[in-house]
Amino acid sequence: MPMYGDLGNKLVQHAKRAQNLAQLPAYQTELVRAVTREVRDLDRDVASMLEPFQGSFDPAAEQATACTLLVNHLSMRRNKRCLLAYHRTRADKLEELVWSGSDVVDLAGQQQAGAAANSVPAAANDRQSSSLSPQEEDYVRQYGDLLAAYKGQWTDIDLTGSLDPPRDLFIDVRVLKDAGEIQTEYGAINLTKNSQFYVRQGDVERLIAQGYLQKLG
Amino acid sequence: MSYYDIDSILTDAEKIPCTFQLDVPDLGYLDNTPTQTLKTGSRVALPLWLAEMLAIASSSGGLDEQGKSFVTFDLPPALGNDVVQALKADPRAVPLRDQSAHFYGLATHMMDLSEEQELATVLRKTYVTRATEIALHARKVGGVGHHGKSSADEGSNLGVGGAGEEFLRGLDERERRLFRKAHDGAKAGKEWMENVKKH
Amino acid sequence: MDIDDILREVDPTFHAIPQEKRDLQDLTRAWVAERCAPELLQWPANDLFERVNENIKRQIEKVEEMTGDMDPKTNFVLIVLQTELERFKYLVRSYLRARIAKIDRHTLHYLSTDDLRSRLSEMELAYATRHQALLHNHYLASFLSSFPPALQNLNDTAGNVTMIDAPDLDSAVFVRLLRDTAVEARDVDVDSSTGGQENAIYILRWSDAKPLVDAGSAELV
Repeated sequence: MPMYGDLGNKLVQHAKRAQNLAQLPAYQTELVRAVTREVRDLDRDVASMLEPFQGSFDPAAEQATACTLLVNHLSMRRNKRCLLAYHRTRADKLEELVWSGSDVVDLAGQQQAGAAANSVPAAANDRQSSSLSPQEEDYVRQYGDLLAAYKGQWTDIDLTGSLDPPRDLFIDVRVLKDAGEIQTEYGAINLTKNSQFYVRQGDVERLIAQGYLQKLG
Repeated sequence: MSYYDIDSILTDAEKIPCTFQLDVPDLGYLDNTPTQTLKTGSRVALPLWLAEMLAIASSSGGLDEQGKSFVTFDLPPALGNDVVQALKADPRAVPLRDQSAHFYGLATHMMDLSEEQELATVLRKTYVTRATEIALHARKVGGVGHHGKSSADEGSNLGVGGAGEEFLRGLDERERRLFRKAHDGAKAGKEWMENVKKH
Repeated sequence: MDIDDILREVDPTFHAIPQEKRDLQDLTRAWVAERCAPELLQWPANDLFERVNENIKRQIEKVEEMTGDMDPKTNFVLIVLQTELERFKYLVRSYLRARIAKIDRHTLHYLSTDDLRSRLSEMELAYATRHQALLHNHYLASFLSSFPPALQNLNDTAGNVTMIDAPDLDSAVFVRLLRDTAVEARDVDVDSSTGGQENAIYILRWSDAKPLVDAGSAELV
């Protein structure tokens, strides 16, 4: 017998799984909708239960009703917490991707091929191209702008750069994918696949993070 | 305990046995009988998020001591006598995960709800004993134990083999987190040492 | 560091530590402390970061000026300068990121009182406010707007779990005493007080260590 809060719990289990995955699994459109609907239904029940009392409800006189009201109220709060935690966990992951400089919306499109199998069949809407909800795509764009604005105040630092303390100023790298020409302080370098270079780490960190270069040694 | 924390939300879904102290016509569904009144004395397993508040809210409305609670509760089987006796005998030999994936979270909630001095003592000893064991395993898995096996195995009756795996499988969520941290820490320490040697 | 700085350092009659060096020390200390403390610490009030930023800018310019000149001897100086510059940049970056991570995790908490807000720099405050607004809008757009109005808040503290998550002030930190001082700490069963000596290192709950750090009697390590 399913009870209130069960669906919300399912949502949180999805969030738990997402925490341990490198990629963001498909957004649970249907489940989110169902849990939200449950909250609205509960709220309507509460309103209709209180209606006959015309604002003079006495919990001591109506204990059974008071108990049911409390259960409904707690169920709504529980669902709210589940929904918020689910969205927050995903938003955290999306922010991480923005910090690492990936083109998140693009990325989501690519990984959909693999994720489609896991998504609820009912969630197959027309724009079946992304594991992000449209709201999440908006959020990523807005957060990207926010981060860019904050970074812009620290242009000389490269805020999204490596958090490993600089030890080797120069490193050996191998080129994994053609990355074109980059400008360094020592002139231009043409990064063609399989070539190797001895370069300043600061100049190529981005390219390493994006998978164009591999650090050697 | 954090509002957005996934593990504490899942802990709140752990169920404990409750007994209703009044008849409630609309709650029959909690006992698989949606069309019937939930009778006084019905025993129903309720998730913590529901049980806790129903147990402390009194039927006279507010949270005062007057009137009785909507429900009373018992310790869940995960904290029952069998488990406690086994933990007293050897904390390392009990796969906590089989009792509850959020064993300590559940236990902490129960401590908050009722005074269980003896249980608290057993659990504290359990945690400390197992944490030591976990740290030992974390170092071994990272391949950064002491030189040779002998000293790493001291004080532990579990080897690297089957028994160790069984122990690790039985960790609850909080212990798994501890294991990951200890493991990452040991690994980072090892990498740092190697780097120092290199330079 | 230029020749004047070096002269000042070797001249025993010149006692003052040059500003640049003091800034580097302050920055390093702030960086260590921020990475160790479980909660956000005060943003340095004395324009430290304006000066550090200026300094980095100057060094970058110097490096650029010298880059054209590939004489092997200056090339070596260039590498030294760059190494120094990278270290500086790393300290600032790592410091700022440690703070942003804390702010992101407990945004509402740090925005909740004037006292807490005053720990943030102006830019951080703007970032945190906007970030929280974006999240709230995201929740509203995704599901929250169809909730009953009474349930739409993100800052309810009623019920058994407050919605405003706060950092755990009881997590452990290491401190080194900078002078002899009494160290008081809460334990599981009994509280204890020890007469601590300069340079002694303790592991304490942050809530017990904070008064010592604030008073300048100890530093985080």
